[in-house]
Amino acid sequence: MATSASPQKSPVDRELAGRSVMTTDPHQLRAAAGFRRSGLVAVISKILLLGLFDAFSLSLIFAMAGLHLWVPLIATIVITLLINWIYLGKSKRLPGKYLTPGVVFLLVFQIFVVFFSGYIAFTNYGDGHNSTKADAIGAITVAAQKRVPDSPTYAVAILQKDGKFFFLVTDPAGKVSVGSSTDPLTAASNPQRDGTGQANGLAGYDTLTLDQVLAAQEAITAIAVPLTANPADGTLRTDDASSAYLYTSDLSYDRRADTFTNGSGVVYRDDGKGEFATADGTKKLSPGWKIDVGFENFAKAFTNPQLSGPLLRVAIWTFVFALASVALTFALGLFLALVLNHPTLRGKKIYRVLVVLPYAFPVYLSGLVWAGLLNPQFGFVNQVLFGGAQIPWLTAPLLAQFSVILVNVWLGYPYMFLVCTGALQSLPEELNEAARVDGASPWRALRSIKLPLLLVSIAPLLIASFAFNFNNFNVIYMLTRGWPRFSDTTFDIGSTDLLITMVYKVAFGSGGARDYGLASALSIVIFLLIATISVIAFRRTKALEDIN
Amino acid sequence: MTTHTEIPIVPIVPDADRPRHYAKRPFRLSRWVRDAGWRHLIAIIAVIFAVFPLLYVVSASLNPAGSLVGSNQLFATINFANYFALFTNPEQPYALWFVNSLVISLITSLATVFLGAMAAYAFSRMRFLGRRIGLLALILIQMFPQFLAVVALFLLLSAIGEVVPALGLGTQLGLIFVYLGGALGVNTYLMYGFFSTVPISIDEAAKIDGASHAQIFFGIILRLVAPILAVVGLLSFIATTGEYVLASIMLTDPTRQTLAVGLYSFVSQAFSNNWSIFAAGAVLAAIPVMIVFLLLQKYIVGGLTAGSVK
Amino acid sequence: MKVTRTARIATATLLVAGLTSAALTGCSGATPGTTGSSTLTLWTDALRAPALKSVSAQFKKDTGVTIKLVIKDFATVDKDFISQVPTGKGPDIIVSPHDKLGAYVQNGVVAPIQLGDSASKYAKVAIQAVTYNGNVYGLPYSIENIAMVRNTALAPTAAKTFDDVIASGKAAVASGTAKYPFLLGLDPKQGDPYHLYPLQTSFGSSVFAQKSDGSYDGSKLTLGDPAGVKFATALKTWGAEGILNPNITADIAATSFAKGESPYFISGPWNIGAIKKAGVKYAIDPLPTAGPDAAKPFLGVNAFFLSAKSKNKVAATKFLVNYLGTDAVQEKLYEVGDRAPALTSAFNTIAATNSDVQAFGKVGLNGVPMPSIPQMASVWADWGSAELALIKGEGDPATVWNAAVVNVQAKIKG
Repeated sequence: MATSASPQKSPVDRELAGRSVMTTDPHQLRAAAGFRRSGLVAVISKILLLGLFDAFSLSLIFAMAGLHLWVPLIATIVITLLINWIYLGKSKRLPGKYLTPGVVFLLVFQIFVVFFSGYIAFTNYGDGHNSTKADAIGAITVAAQKRVPDSPTYAVAILQKDGKFFFLVTDPAGKVSVGSSTDPLTAASNPQRDGTGQANGLAGYDTLTLDQVLAAQEAITAIAVPLTANPADGTLRTDDASSAYLYTSDLSYDRRADTFTNGSGVVYRDDGKGEFATADGTKKLSPGWKIDVGFENFAKAFTNPQLSGPLLRVAIWTFVFALASVALTFALGLFLALVLNHPTLRGKKIYRVLVVLPYAFPVYLSGLVWAGLLNPQFGFVNQVLFGGAQIPWLTAPLLAQFSVILVNVWLGYPYMFLVCTGALQSLPEELNEAARVDGASPWRALRSIKLPLLLVSIAPLLIASFAFNFNNFNVIYMLTRGWPRFSDTTFDIGSTDLLITMVYKVAFGSGGARDYGLASALSIVIFLLIATISVIAFRRTKALEDIN
Repeated sequence: MTTHTEIPIVPIVPDADRPRHYAKRPFRLSRWVRDAGWRHLIAIIAVIFAVFPLLYVVSASLNPAGSLVGSNQLFATINFANYFALFTNPEQPYALWFVNSLVISLITSLATVFLGAMAAYAFSRMRFLGRRIGLLALILIQMFPQFLAVVALFLLLSAIGEVVPALGLGTQLGLIFVYLGGALGVNTYLMYGFFSTVPISIDEAAKIDGASHAQIFFGIILRLVAPILAVVGLLSFIATTGEYVLASIMLTDPTRQTLAVGLYSFVSQAFSNNWSIFAAGAVLAAIPVMIVFLLLQKYIVGGLTAGSVK
Repeated sequence: MKVTRTARIATATLLVAGLTSAALTGCSGATPGTTGSSTLTLWTDALRAPALKSVSAQFKKDTGVTIKLVIKDFATVDKDFISQVPTGKGPDIIVSPHDKLGAYVQNGVVAPIQLGDSASKYAKVAIQAVTYNGNVYGLPYSIENIAMVRNTALAPTAAKTFDDVIASGKAAVASGTAKYPFLLGLDPKQGDPYHLYPLQTSFGSSVFAQKSDGSYDGSKLTLGDPAGVKFATALKTWGAEGILNPNITADIAATSFAKGESPYFISGPWNIGAIKKAGVKYAIDPLPTAGPDAAKPFLGVNAFFLSAKSKNKVAATKFLVNYLGTDAVQEKLYEVGDRAPALTSAFNTIAATNSDVQAFGKVGLNGVPMPSIPQMASVWADWGSAELALIKGEGDPATVWNAAVVNVQAKIKG
């Protein structure tokens, strides 16, 4: 290794110098000295950043250990070690040094979503199957508690003895009794009473203060004091620790058999589908709970008549919509970028800002405005531009498709304009000059020289934009909801529905019951479709080929 | 050893110098029409197309009793009451939302540019196992339907909040982190394409001068690709400012909310939507985007030209 | 050489890491634990939050429990509630319209509350609306419904039947004083079953059958009965006559009425403010009947619901029953939301001085709660699009209507 550095120098300097080559050019020496100075800063900041990161990881690890989160803990250790290995390592790990920060965020916040969706596709998660079985049993039990009709309101105070809670109950007649979850109510002798005659203390028990009640509220609301030794007479419960009511339950849960039985002896069992149902399956208890269902959602996706019926038409329109959106937004964006990319054009700064404005307003607001502009009778487009004609922009099938694309172009071209404006800067100015010298028309120069070069860097964005528009839920839902409806199917699907809005309608019941499992399975199917198309497109455009 | 004597660190010919060369010519209408006139015409048409629907928003914002699209009489009343109302209701602290949005969007866009540029540099300059797959994966992941993103991120953030409260639900930092999950992606491609147009000979020359990879990246490459950094920064800024779904899940305290979330609270009532105030808020919210774009324009066009690098 | 350098950098890194984490632990050790002090989280919308401020402060003073008001987007709050409660991270209390109750119960995210004797202090229909399967789940605070708003300059007397409305409206148009005989906000892309429901019920048609206790029976869809088809036929006639116009959106209808362009407008209290501001002289009349029965508007009841997973049930119940169920709070909620209070005494106080509230309340006496059963979610889309098709004159009324009913039935079956 060629080095001009003396051994006394700091390791950092030596390292930097080691990379340098011997030179006598003064200009180059100056530059090398500059690199050396900033190199020291680099090493120090690296130490600081990595140190801070390690400290952060360390505190994470301790916190996780405290919470017994072992899997995330191990993941954190592995990632931390990996990152240290990358940043303390040699140049072979160089790509890692540049990729790691972004990839860590990507892994945590995006890949997680992907895996979560993938997992949900194999469950029945959705309305009615929202939580765990324990939660469902709890909810069913609570809902089954009915207040005994015309039973009185009991005033209650919470007492405590030997760590156990008691109700001190004053009935409307002024009779005072005491009881707990295990001890049915018995008459209390000589209670202390407050000004209104309500009992608030009993010898041998401590009366809970409000603060104590609030600190133990979960335990207190769980107390059910039997009215008598006969369970059929019901139990007293309180929600607010000041008044209690008499409840009986029309369902009882048998923990050992895992069944609910109602008053008339009907038994509800876990039917394996995440709910309690009678043996013949006709009656079910709500709510159910979340279980794994294997490929059931995917099977549903492929056999659902709502999907298979209009599928082909919707799929074709989805492609048309996505392709037209990309082509038109790109064409308009590029065209405007070229037009405004002229050195002597006065006011081009202002033009540029105004032209990107649609991008700066909330899509939701723009969508509503466009729906208003396209109103057949009162909209500006018909009233002013078409002299009062009643053109059904959003309600006739073909026109609605046209309008949806038009609005989407309005929403999307500023993005392409910005991207093209930026990308045009990478084209050497000499290209223009050369073309002009060769006598090529500006159009020719654009088409055969600039465009191909531009496409190299923009093609991936076009593919991404295609994928985005393929799933462009918002525009459709704001403008047409997918309507006008197809008249030949009975389903709520129409001529501007994209695959993704169709999935939404099928899985979320047109704004009603939401079946996340099905939605997830369907969207994974769509993802596989669009990903395949994209990969093929990438191959074809050679977008991944090296430019240099 | 090659005989590089020129160090192409600042070989910049500002585009701003160019117009003088044109301006010296005598003015002639025919040439003006051929050169610039038609451009003005197209630009004006484009501006009308772009701005016209937004005039409804501006008009509604100036009419306290107005609806959004109930009428085609634009600017029938001009009254700034809606704008005053934005700043006088302590329950809906517009000014605070504005600041929150600016801070969150600026941090997110700067970090996005930084993370994305680093990744793009690696993809463009280095050869490593999984490079092509990685590039492809970046874009494919973004195509994954986000139906369940809200539920998933809610669970994730509430779990993170248990361990690190500063990153949990309700924190702006947590929201920024979620946004940074998308820092690599389409933007990386945009930068990757641009990075690849910078000749690799520049790197090599600097390396010979003793520059480390970090110095080449921070000192040379980043400056040469400034236009695309500005574009990505702007795109990210706009996207973050307008982002609603994630922000509304993550930020529930009115004092921490962003503009997008706060503004919707004016119109998310059943029936009684306060469109005119919403419109006023949206008009003001567009201003930072315009300013940022104006500020960045000189970097996007004209600050550097790749052609002069050669 | 290299190795030493790497080792040194590694050591330095570790040192920084060690120092920082020591500092971090020091800091976290210094902050006192905040567990124990109880806080109630309440999800509300931006409009209502201010009205809850002072009562929250009072509650804090009385019990030491802090009420954290969290502003949520009204449009998605129900979905967030359903998905967040099971994680244990949801709120303790949510403000919500009652028609979401079915979905909440179906998902086990709300807990019943016991209003005890105070239940009788609320409008009966409000309690009915927050009752599901025999349990009361919410503390109602407001009732809203639509009525017939009449421009008294254009139509000096109230019309009893919809035919009268049409006749008087057409006369006003013919005389040149009005532009539209009648206004009702529709939408070119979806009908509006909510605003059309009074007309529909006046034919004797309804969505679901009601049980004896007033609750809806999700297994009995009554939309397709002969009365429903009669309504469908009428829709087509009105559409052809231009009485109902799908191009008149809610926005356009409100703007036009405020400009004095029509004598009649079926709408709710939410539009009265703008009408008043515009200086239109108006009266609030009972809804006109188009058939033999009474015109029953849907009633929307807004209520506070308690999360099934609340860890602060005692405090939450106290707050709901004893603090929110008071005249002062209910009147304050009226002031910010313009919806009539559900607490009868508060309603009477306001109605005594505000004739609009009284008039809307009177119309509401005829109303029926909007169904909160989960099956209702399957109805809206097909119901609305069938109405729209008929108003636009597409298809035979019986065929279109029955096709929609068949779709709804299929959706309910799942």
